[in-house]
Amino acid sequence: MVPLNWYLTVAALLFALGLYGALARRNAIAVLMGIELMLNAANLNLVAFWRYGEQVMALTGQVFAILIIALAAAEAAVGLALIIAVYRDRRTVDVEELDLLQG
Amino acid sequence: MNALGLLLPELILLVGALLVFLLDVAYDTDRESGASYGLVSGLFLVVAFLAAFFQMSLEPQQAFMMDIDAFAAFIKMTVFAGMALVALAGGRYMNRRTYNQGEFWTFFLIVSLAMSILAGANNLVLIYITIELLSITSYMLAAFFRDELRSAEAGMKYFLYGSVASAVMLYGLSFIYGAVGSLDLREVAGFFVQPDLTEELRVAMIPATLLALAGFAFKASLAPFYQWAPDTYEGSPTPVTTYLSTASKAAAFAVMARFFVVGLSALDVEWVPILAGLSILTMTMGNLAALRQNNVKRLLAYSSVAHAGYILMGLVAVAANAASGMDGLNGVLLYLFAYLFTNVGAFVSLMAVEETTGSVEMEAFQGLIHRAPWLAGMFTLFLLSLAGIPATGGFLGKFFVFGAAVQHQYYWLVAIALVNAGIAAFYYLRIIRTMYFGSQEDAGSRLELPLGMQATLLICTLATLWIGLYPPQVLDWVNTASQQILTAVLF
Amino acid sequence: MESIVLVVMLFWPLLAALVVLLFGGSDRAVKTSSILMSLVPLALSVYLLWGYDFEAGGIQFQVRAEWIPQINASFRLGVDGLSIPLVFLTALLSTLSLYYSAGVIRHRVKEYFFLFHLLEMSMLGVFVALDYVLFYIFWEISLVPMYFLIGIWGSDNRDYAAVKFFIYTLVGSVAMLLAILAIFFATGTFDILDAAAAQPFSQQLTIASLVFWGLFLGFAFKVPSFPFHTWLPDAHTEAPTAGSVILAGVLLKLGAYGLLRIMLPTLPHAAVFWAPWLVALGAIAIVYGAFVCVAQSDLKRLIAYSSVSHMGYVVLGIGAAAAVMTPEALADLANVFSLSPEALQDSAAMAINGATLQMFNHGIITGALFFLVGILYERAHTRDLFRFGGLSARTPYYYGLMMVAAFASLGLPGLAGFWAEFFTFRGAFAIVPAWAAFGTLGIIITAVYFLYRIIQNVFLGEYDPAKIEHWTTVDGQPAEGPTDVVGFEKLTLWPLVAAMLLIGIYPTPLVEYFNQSALELLNFVSTLS
Repeated sequence: MVPLNWYLTVAALLFALGLYGALARRNAIAVLMGIELMLNAANLNLVAFWRYGEQVMALTGQVFAILIIALAAAEAAVGLALIIAVYRDRRTVDVEELDLLQG
Repeated sequence: MNALGLLLPELILLVGALLVFLLDVAYDTDRESGASYGLVSGLFLVVAFLAAFFQMSLEPQQAFMMDIDAFAAFIKMTVFAGMALVALAGGRYMNRRTYNQGEFWTFFLIVSLAMSILAGANNLVLIYITIELLSITSYMLAAFFRDELRSAEAGMKYFLYGSVASAVMLYGLSFIYGAVGSLDLREVAGFFVQPDLTEELRVAMIPATLLALAGFAFKASLAPFYQWAPDTYEGSPTPVTTYLSTASKAAAFAVMARFFVVGLSALDVEWVPILAGLSILTMTMGNLAALRQNNVKRLLAYSSVAHAGYILMGLVAVAANAASGMDGLNGVLLYLFAYLFTNVGAFVSLMAVEETTGSVEMEAFQGLIHRAPWLAGMFTLFLLSLAGIPATGGFLGKFFVFGAAVQHQYYWLVAIALVNAGIAAFYYLRIIRTMYFGSQEDAGSRLELPLGMQATLLICTLATLWIGLYPPQVLDWVNTASQQILTAVLF
Repeated sequence: MESIVLVVMLFWPLLAALVVLLFGGSDRAVKTSSILMSLVPLALSVYLLWGYDFEAGGIQFQVRAEWIPQINASFRLGVDGLSIPLVFLTALLSTLSLYYSAGVIRHRVKEYFFLFHLLEMSMLGVFVALDYVLFYIFWEISLVPMYFLIGIWGSDNRDYAAVKFFIYTLVGSVAMLLAILAIFFATGTFDILDAAAAQPFSQQLTIASLVFWGLFLGFAFKVPSFPFHTWLPDAHTEAPTAGSVILAGVLLKLGAYGLLRIMLPTLPHAAVFWAPWLVALGAIAIVYGAFVCVAQSDLKRLIAYSSVSHMGYVVLGIGAAAAVMTPEALADLANVFSLSPEALQDSAAMAINGATLQMFNHGIITGALFFLVGILYERAHTRDLFRFGGLSARTPYYYGLMMVAAFASLGLPGLAGFWAEFFTFRGAFAIVPAWAAFGTLGIIITAVYFLYRIIQNVFLGEYDPAKIEHWTTVDGQPAEGPTDVVGFEKLTLWPLVAAMLLIGIYPTPLVEYFNQSALELLNFVSTLS
C-alpha cells in the first residue's frame, strides 16, 4: 500500500501551491482558485488520515471532507457573486486596485 | 428536557429566520412593510436571549456536538443582546437604505444563529462549519449595499481574507484529526493528556495549532490577521460593522477559549507564549494604527482590534483553580460582555451622526455637544469606557484581565498593555476633544435621533454604568460560566 | 447620623451635578443652586472636624457595605485625623471656587457647574474611601471633569495642556492599578486597612519594590514629584482660575494623601529601602522648582512651579518619615545618630506633621494665589509679569491680599506656611540632615521669586499705561486702568486669608488632627515584626 506520508506530501504541496496563489496573485478569481486548492489539500489530509487511522468505521474524516466540499461550493458561490458585484462597478477584479478603503 | 429542547435559542432563531424569509417570499413587500422585518427579528432575538438566560441555570450537558453549559449560555446572552441592540438601533438605518430588507433580516438572524452554535460547539466539524456559516453570511451582509463601491469592496476584502484564513485553519484541523483520530474536543483533550504522549507529537502539534489559530485569529481580528478589519468595518453598513466588532468577536473568543482551554489544555506550554505574543502584537498594532486615523469609523475599527489584544491577555492567563475570583477566563467573559455594550453604544452614536451629517470623518463630530448634548455625553461615556476609565464596564473588564495577568506574573505583558492603554487614551480623547472643545458658533444644526437609537443608547449607557458600578450579578454569571468550562477540562 | 454623614457628603455633589444637568434653567439659577448645594458638603465636613473623637482616635464615621463580594471589595468609607482636614479643605475650596466661578464664567455655564460638582465628588471620594477599588475609581474619575475644565474653559493652549494632564496622570494611575492588583493577590483583600495589616511582601524586597514603585508612580504623577511634574505647569497655566485652584489646592494632595494612607503603612520595608530616593526627589523638587520660578515671566506659570517646589516639602517630610518605618530601621538610624529611638520617632512624627500641614496650607495659600492671579488676568488679559508695574498704588486692596498670600507662601512666621516648613525641616534634619539642609536652599530662593519677581515687578515700580492695551473691569467692561477687587472676589479670598492668619498664629487645633494620624501611623509600624 502507498504509505500515508505520500498523501500528506501531496496535500502539503497542494496547500503550499494554493497559499502561494492566494497570497501572490492579484486577480481575485485566481485567489479564489488558490483557496479551493487549499481546501482540497485539507480534504486529502482528512481522507488519508481517516483511511490510515484506527477508527476506520467512524467515517469522521470522510464525512468532514464531504461537508467541506459542500461548504467550498457555497463559499465559491458567494465569493463569485461578490467579485461580480465589484466587477460591475469597477470593471476590474484586480485586488490591488481595490483601494477605496485603506489607511 | 429532551435534547431538542436544549437547542431552544437556536431553534427560535431558525424559526425566525425562516419566517422572515418566507414572509418576504410570500408577500410583495415595499419599503414600509419591509421595515417590520427588523422589528420581527428584534423580537426573536429578545426571545432567544430569554431562552439563553434560562439556560444559564441548567446543569452542564451535551446535545448534538454542542455543550449546553453556562459558558455557552453566557456567550449566547452576550451575542443576542448585541444583535438585538443592533437591530433596534440599526433597523431604521438599514430599512432606509435598501429594498431587500427581507434578505437582510433573514441573514441577520442566521448570523445570530451561527454565533449561537459557535458558542457551544465542542466538535471541530461543527466549529468549522459554523465559522463558515458565520463568515459567509457576514460577507454578504458586509457587501449588502452592493451598488456602493465601498460596501462591495469591504465585502470582497472580507471574503478574500476570510476564506484564506479558514482554509488555513482547516488544514491545521486536519492534522489534529490525524494525530487524535477524532474531532471531538473532549477526545482531543483526552488524547493530549496521555502521560505517554511523545515529545515528537507535542512538537508536531505546534504548526497544526498555529494553522488552526489563523482561522480563529481572523474572526477575532488578531494580529497578524486583522488587516481586513479596518477596511471591512469602514466600508460595511454601520449596523453590520457594529455586530462584526462586538457579537462576532465574542463568538470568536468563545470558540477560541473552548478550543485552547478545553481541547488543548494539556499543550498550554506550547500555545500560551504564542497567544501572549499575538496579544502584544495585536494591541500595539491596533493602537498605533488608530492614532493616525481621521475617520472615526475606521478609528473605532482599529480600536476594536486593540481591544481584541487586551481580551487575548485574559486567555493567556487562565488557571484551572483560581482562588482569587479574578481569573483570565472570567476576565475574558466580563470584558466581552462590557465591551459589547460599550462598543455597540459607540457605533450607534457614530450611526446617529452618520444619519444626519452623512459623514463619519472627524469633522462631522465638531461641536457635537452643541448639536446633540445627550448624544455627545453618552458617546463620551462609551469612549471613556473604551479607554478604561473607572465607573464604566470597560474599566472592570480591563481590571479583571490585567488582574489575571498580574496574578500569573506576566508582568512584561501587563507593562506593555499599560503603555498601550496610555496610547489608546490619546485617540479616544481626540474624539472627545472634537466634540467638546469647539465653540458654539460653528457647530451647525441640531441633531434629532430616531427613537430606536435613543433607546439603544440609553440601554448601552445604563448597562455600561451598571457593569462598572455594581457588577456582582454579572460576576456571578461570569464565574459560573468559566467554572463550568474549567471543570470540563479537569474531567 | 454617625454612619450616614460620609455617604451624604460624598454623594451630595453627585446629586447637585444631576440637579444642574437635569433641572438647570437659566445660568443664574444654575449658579445660585450650585453654590447653595455646595454648602452641604462644607457643613458636613465641619461636622466631621467637630465630631471627631480624639480619645478614641483611628478611623471614625465608618460606613461598610457589601459591594463586590466576588473579589472582596466592599463599599467602605471612613475618615481619620489625616483625611478630615483634607475633606474640609476640599469642600471649602470647592465652595469658594464655585462662588468665584459664578462671577467669571459666562459661557457653557451648565456644563461647567455640572463638571465641577462631579470633580468635588471624586476628590471627596478619594479622601474617604477605604477600599482600593473604590479609591481607584474616585481617583480616576477626578481626571475626567478636570480634563474638560481645562479643555473647554482654559486659555490659549488649553487643548495641549488638557491632553497632557490626562495622559500623564492616566499612565501613572495605571501603574498604580497594577500595584493595587499585586497587593490584592498577596493579601486577598481590597480593603486598604486590612491589606496594610496583612503586610504583603514584607519578606520579598524585590517584588515589594516593584509594587512600591507602581504605587509611587501613580502618586508621584499626581503630587507631582520631580521628575514627574512636567504636566503641571501646562495644566495649571491653561486651566481656568477655579480649575487651577482645585488642581493646586486639592488634586495635588490626592497623591500625597496616597503616600501616607497607602504606601507607608502597607509597604514599610520597601519604604525604608527607598526612603533616600523619596527624600532626594523631595529636596531636589524644592530647589529645582524654586529656581525655575525665578526664571518665569508668566505669572501663573510661576505660581505653578512654586507648587512643584512646595509639594517638594511634602515629599521630603514623608520620605524622612519613611526612613524609620520599621523598628529595625529605627534602631539602626538611632545608632547612627546616637539618639534614642523615641527621639527619632518624635522627629518622624514631626516630619509627617510638617508634610500634612504643608498639604493643607499649600491648598489654601496656593488656592488664594491662583485666585489672585485670576483676578488680575480677568482685568489685564495677560499674565506677563513684565507688562505690569506700580499696581500697589492703584489697587491697594489687591496688593494687600497678594502680600499676605505671598508672605504666607514663602514661610513668613506668623502666617500659615511657616509652621509647615518649620515642622518639616525640624523633623527631616534629625533623620536626613544632608538633604534637609539642601532643601532649605529652596526657602531662600522662594523669597527671591516672590519678593523680586511678583512684588517688585507687579506692584512696585512705575505704572506704565502703555504696557497693556486694554484694561477691563471684571465684568468685561472697558476700563481706564487697573480696577481694584470687587465684592465677590473679596468674599472669595477672605476665608482663605483668614485661614492663613489663623493657622499662622495658632496652628494647634489643625495640627492635632494631623498629629493624631501621624502617631497612629508610627504606632502601627512600630508593632510590626
